[in-house]
Amino acid sequence: MSIDIYWRIGTHGDQPSLRRRLVTRGDWSPVVPGSITPGLREGRPDGYSHLDHMADVARSTELSGFVGGLLPSFPFTDDPWAAAASLARETTGYRFMIAFQPGFLHPVQAARMSASLQRATGGRVVYNIISGGGGPAQLWWGDKVGHDDRYARTSEFLDVLKAVWYGGPVTHHGRFYQVDGAGLPERLAGQPFPEVYFSGSSRAAIEAAGRHADYYLSWLEPFPALAAKFDQVREHSAAIGRSPRFAVRIDVLARETEDEAWAEIRRGWRHVDPERLRGPESTGDSVGWLRSSRFIDWPVRTPRELEASPNVWGGFHLLRGGPAFGLVGSYAQVAARLDELIALGVDAFILAGVPHLEEARRIGENVLPLLRGRWPDTAPDTPVPSPETLESPEALESPGTLEAKGSTR
Amino acid sequence: MTPPGRFGGCGEPSPHKRPFRFLLTLPTTGPDATPAPLPEFVTDIRQGRYGPFDTIGEVGRAAEVTGFDGVVAPFAPDAEESLVVVAGLLRHNRWIHGVAGFHPGVGTPVYAAKLSASLQRFTEDRFGWWPVVDLPPATARAHGDFLEGPDRYARADEFLSIAKGVWEHEDYTYEGRFFQVLAGGFQGPLAGRRFPAVHLSGVSADALDLSAKHADVHVFDVTDDLDALIADLGERAAGHGRSVASGLRLSVAAREDEAEAHAVRNVPEHALTGSFEQVAAELRGYADRGVSTFVLEPPPRVEEIYRLGEQLLPLFVREHAHVD
Repeated sequence: MSIDIYWRIGTHGDQPSLRRRLVTRGDWSPVVPGSITPGLREGRPDGYSHLDHMADVARSTELSGFVGGLLPSFPFTDDPWAAAASLARETTGYRFMIAFQPGFLHPVQAARMSASLQRATGGRVVYNIISGGGGPAQLWWGDKVGHDDRYARTSEFLDVLKAVWYGGPVTHHGRFYQVDGAGLPERLAGQPFPEVYFSGSSRAAIEAAGRHADYYLSWLEPFPALAAKFDQVREHSAAIGRSPRFAVRIDVLARETEDEAWAEIRRGWRHVDPERLRGPESTGDSVGWLRSSRFIDWPVRTPRELEASPNVWGGFHLLRGGPAFGLVGSYAQVAARLDELIALGVDAFILAGVPHLEEARRIGENVLPLLRGRWPDTAPDTPVPSPETLESPEALESPGTLEAKGSTR
Repeated sequence: MTPPGRFGGCGEPSPHKRPFRFLLTLPTTGPDATPAPLPEFVTDIRQGRYGPFDTIGEVGRAAEVTGFDGVVAPFAPDAEESLVVVAGLLRHNRWIHGVAGFHPGVGTPVYAAKLSASLQRFTEDRFGWWPVVDLPPATARAHGDFLEGPDRYARADEFLSIAKGVWEHEDYTYEGRFFQVLAGGFQGPLAGRRFPAVHLSGVSADALDLSAKHADVHVFDVTDDLDALIADLGERAAGHGRSVASGLRLSVAAREDEAEAHAVRNVPEHALTGSFEQVAAELRGYADRGVSTFVLEPPPRVEEIYRLGEQLLPLFVREHAHVD
């Protein structure tokens, strides 16, 4: 079984490096000389939009050897459905992994959109099903449903969506959705159902994933914790006769040598607000975010204090928006860590780096060719907090203290 | 009213622009058409390479280069999903607007607005909405919508109010019967785009009231009592301090001369039939009664789009027109 390696397409602009939090690509910052998409020509916007940059990233990523791109969804980003539908016919083999929250679309509508997009792309749609990070962001979206109920809704959504997809007419009167005689028209029927990458670290998420995930997707965590989490998912899935594959979302900063890689981190570190070194704050109910904050002994003073195990660095969120953990090291080291994850049972990666376009090229040329696959003598080697302490009821129920981080991004 | 877009919209027309908008309906409904097969001994390079989106793309392209103002992807149970269709088409064309039909039970208004804000960013504000409220009950239930009667209009009102609310305000709260949002609203580059041009239809008092409050264009049919309805809509809209443009769905069979036009096969009932000048005169007649948007149905073939674009539309360029 081959390993699927995705990249990420930023849906809210991009920085030219991790050295400064300065967004020059897309229009999330003022458009000035040096801005890209839109840029300036003779003092006026040049007519390009952020979508044109996303298209460039998609093409570069495709040429660099990745199978597709994750399009994240947050209140401040462009929308993944809009981007994927717009770019559908600008790439050839590239898959669009669309992040979406089931609560926002009716499953029949989702089925129709997906089927049309499968037809427009020749079957290149992949789902990143996210169930929301709670807190103010969830209310911003107009969604008041609580944490565990959101997973129940996700589960019901996928049940209805699949039933409609695989044949109708479907009549369903559930807790969140009702339909009577639903189905896809002849025109839209018979498309392959998109692969499901399912995100969520809580018990409710893992239970829902057991039923629906083709790939159980996690942020990167120190490897033993990740292995323990995968075991939980395997256990829940086995109990209902399923065996999901595993995927990890990882930021990578790789250079020819280890020193060069850490030098890059240190350059960005100079601009980090010291307040943020005291520890992460959050306002949502994301268990994944809570877990990731606990692998580090906060507060910290230097970058290497965030290295939870060799090359596994928990400070990316300080240098750009997004999750904390990623890999920092030489090309060979990063490739070796990815091989270790493959040995732990990982079947797919969603990699990312800043800037997305150039780093896709770098990783495609220098890291992916070094991968060896499921080689036998790999063992994770660094102790981390045991996952049991993270799954206490207190850890699962701490609304109001966590930042809203709804999904992989 | 808000003009539906930067280019070729129905705001103040420039001297070189038509005072009307012409929209084409896209061929997105029904089963896929299969092209006539070639004899075996003839090389056919098409095998498996082209699909329905190529046909739709061909029509969109023709509308673009022949000077139409936009295209409509209608909502219908047997149709291609309209948002996907329109997003792809607008990406590959510079000028045409794209109007997507959908029913207001598709999802939350916040999400619909969010997706649309991106499409407006990607297309320089060329994306439009056509919410379809008055569906047959069985069709509605098959799409997850169990509301009947006036409630459907109440929900559509909420849907549009919230979508516009988050679009226009940075801190927006609305707790309604059907939808809600707390401290919502777009910020940064998602804010400040033009809200999608809202097209609505229907002749009931509820439908006209909804349009009076929310529509940019209310689309009638040629069999409707146009004069009374346009006047009624105008009064209701004035009650909200607004005005709503009137549109008309119709079919056209136009050729160089009348006899040729009458020989056209498969012309729908009530189609405007005649020479280009005769059809133009009839369209001007509708314009005199207050119609400013024409939605051509059914989906024309590419050769028909070229014919209308080259020979009918030029008759409406203002410097040649008789309407002033």
